[in-house]
Amino acid sequence: MTERTYIEAIRDALDYEMRRDDRVFLLGEDIGAYGGAFKLTAGMQDEFGTERVLDTPLSEAAIVGAAIGAAYMGMRPVAEMQFIDFITCCFQMITNFAAKSHWRWGAAVPIVIRGPAGGGVGGGPFHSQNVEAYFHHTPGLKIVMPATAADAKGLLIAAIRDPNPVLFLEHKFLYRHIKGEVPDGEHVVELGTAAVAREGTDLSVVTYGAMVHRACAVAQQLRDADGVSVEVIDLRTLKPVDYDTVYASVRKTNKVIVLHEDQLTGGIGGEIAARIGEDVFEWLDGPVVRMGAADTPVPYAHPLEHAFQPNEDRLREACRKLLAY
Amino acid sequence: MKRYKAYDPPEYVSWELDPEELERFDATLAADPARKAVIDALDNDALLGLYTALVRARLHDVHLKRWVKNGVITKAWLATGEEAVTVGSTLALDRRGPDGDVVGPMIRNASACLEMGIPLEQMFGAYLAVDTTPCRGRDIHIGDLAHGVIAPVSHVGSLMPVMVGCALGFKMKREPRVAMTWVGDGASKNGEFHEGANFAAALGLPVVTFIQNNQVALGTPTSQHNKGAFPAFADAYGMPGAVVDGNNVLDVYAASKLAVDRARAGDGPTLLVAETFRMGGHATHDEREARELFAPDVFAAWGKRDPVGVFEAWLMERGVPSSTLSTLEGEVDAALEAAAATALSGRASAQPDPGDLLEGIYA
Ligand SMILES: Cc1ncc(C[n+]2csc(CCOP(=O)(O)OP(=O)(O)O)c2C)c(N)n1
Ligand SMILES: [Mg+2]
Repeated sequence: MTERTYIEAIRDALDYEMRRDDRVFLLGEDIGAYGGAFKLTAGMQDEFGTERVLDTPLSEAAIVGAAIGAAYMGMRPVAEMQFIDFITCCFQMITNFAAKSHWRWGAAVPIVIRGPAGGGVGGGPFHSQNVEAYFHHTPGLKIVMPATAADAKGLLIAAIRDPNPVLFLEHKFLYRHIKGEVPDGEHVVELGTAAVAREGTDLSVVTYGAMVHRACAVAQQLRDADGVSVEVIDLRTLKPVDYDTVYASVRKTNKVIVLHEDQLTGGIGGEIAARIGEDVFEWLDGPVVRMGAADTPVPYAHPLEHAFQPNEDRLREACRKLLAY
Repeated sequence: MKRYKAYDPPEYVSWELDPEELERFDATLAADPARKAVIDALDNDALLGLYTALVRARLHDVHLKRWVKNGVITKAWLATGEEAVTVGSTLALDRRGPDGDVVGPMIRNASACLEMGIPLEQMFGAYLAVDTTPCRGRDIHIGDLAHGVIAPVSHVGSLMPVMVGCALGFKMKREPRVAMTWVGDGASKNGEFHEGANFAAALGLPVVTFIQNNQVALGTPTSQHNKGAFPAFADAYGMPGAVVDGNNVLDVYAASKLAVDRARAGDGPTLLVAETFRMGGHATHDEREARELFAPDVFAAWGKRDPVGVFEAWLMERGVPSSTLSTLEGEVDAALEAAAATALSGRASAQPDPGDLLEGIYA
């Protein structure tokens, strides 16, 4: 075990997989000598060379297309979006080429597309988005978003080894804001498994990414102030969702809030809430509540972004309201 | 070759050799010494191999047209008049299978699939959604890594970066293999094509790309959607480029072979421009509208340049007996006939199972 930041854990996973498997390589913009926009890959080109830490032209569709083609030919590409917002430029390659490939003609596409997502850093409309909902609709993709340093490593290793196209969403606010004990060497967190981030008995908050930390903080406040016990489920994999773990929590607490940093309307919380309503209705003692960001672009100014994001005050009040139901 | 009144364009039905076209054919071959050397090195078998593949491409499409006419399928996408572009280039590849070269054909390049070795009955079976074809009725497009064929998506241009990625894989694995793809004049206006072209050039990847200018994109003539010069693209991206006569299978073959050899030797990508003409519709459903896109004399001029007819005349001028050619044609036709029958019986016996619908979403 070594204490690492979230970003160091991601770097550790890349290092580990690059050493373990020479089919694994990185491609993206400015990731080589420059070390990446967040310095995540700093120094890696010195160690692994210019081919395996490949600086590409500023061409997101070509980056993903090249990853797909190289994967068909037996490589294990890990493509970086400098900011995950730019993934819209390769939407076509991901949703039509990569995602449908195995189902259409049996050709697996073992690629990872990773990059910094999420807000809280004043990044504005084009450097703070959460893109999971755009892709959750597409059969054939997997989507992952870790909340802890240990999970960041273990999930990324699992994503690289997975035979499917995996979107690996890193929360940029967490990069250097959180630390944790991270297992050295081999550490795999199976995709499709949620975690109980905090145990509780009175209400469940189902969430992921940076919101896991916000939910745990609110759970502690409610424990201290109201003496209630809130369980926090960290989905970790957003597609496919580990509904077993979600439903087990709902059966225990009978009340649930689905929370995400992404905008509310059309967010993945709607799908999760609908399924809870269909599948464990008898276990519910209140409405399935969704909470997400305002239905606007991500604002630039700090007070605006604070108002935009689901914040602790709003979550605490939503919990109290549902607990009183 | 035999002409089909019900299926061939009128210019082909009444086709007769115009001696000027044979002169043009020869003049093209003589114009470029490097290409000429490639062609001079072809033995009789290789020449007849090109002929056979051209005939296979043409008759494959005739069979599909017959199916459309008989109501077996509702429409088909054909390469009538453009066969030499795909055939000449594909035959310049190493077609040994899973460890050989790879192609990324669009639907108008079906003959690339045929020549890479996808069985004829699978090609026909794909149209009929037969469960035993590589796409198992899930998609009409076809691909099979065992034959080095990447299945396209419908979105034109998208193959380009993927083929570039195959080439990246070859380069990283130090494998002397080459990726090839074809981009229509219309598709060449798509961003993915340009991203891919620049990516290939910037990284020096072994990919050979054709801009297949058949003078039209669906219902819009090239002159209307493109004001630039296709041959200038190569220079703009910093890679070698050349123009080929897309109705001259030997010219296409020679230019392809030079580009493929260069790529295989580690000397990077090439962008070739093939000038040709779509003699039919975008697909079989719009042949009437397609005839209205160009003046009759344009069809007449390109019709004289039938890539099969002129090459046949060229071979006969070199002493190949017409009986040899008609024997080959008969063999190809019989094989296609048998494959079509197999595919049809597969449609009856090997329907995709709705119970399998959810299977294979993930690998
Ligand atoms: C991205 C995209 N837009 C539109 C279409 C619909 N479409 C199919 S083929 C075609 C024209 C393609 O023209 P070109 O690239 O010149 O190829 P050709 O059909 O002439 O071989 C169009 C518009 C498509 N398949 N993909
Ligand atoms: Mg065209």
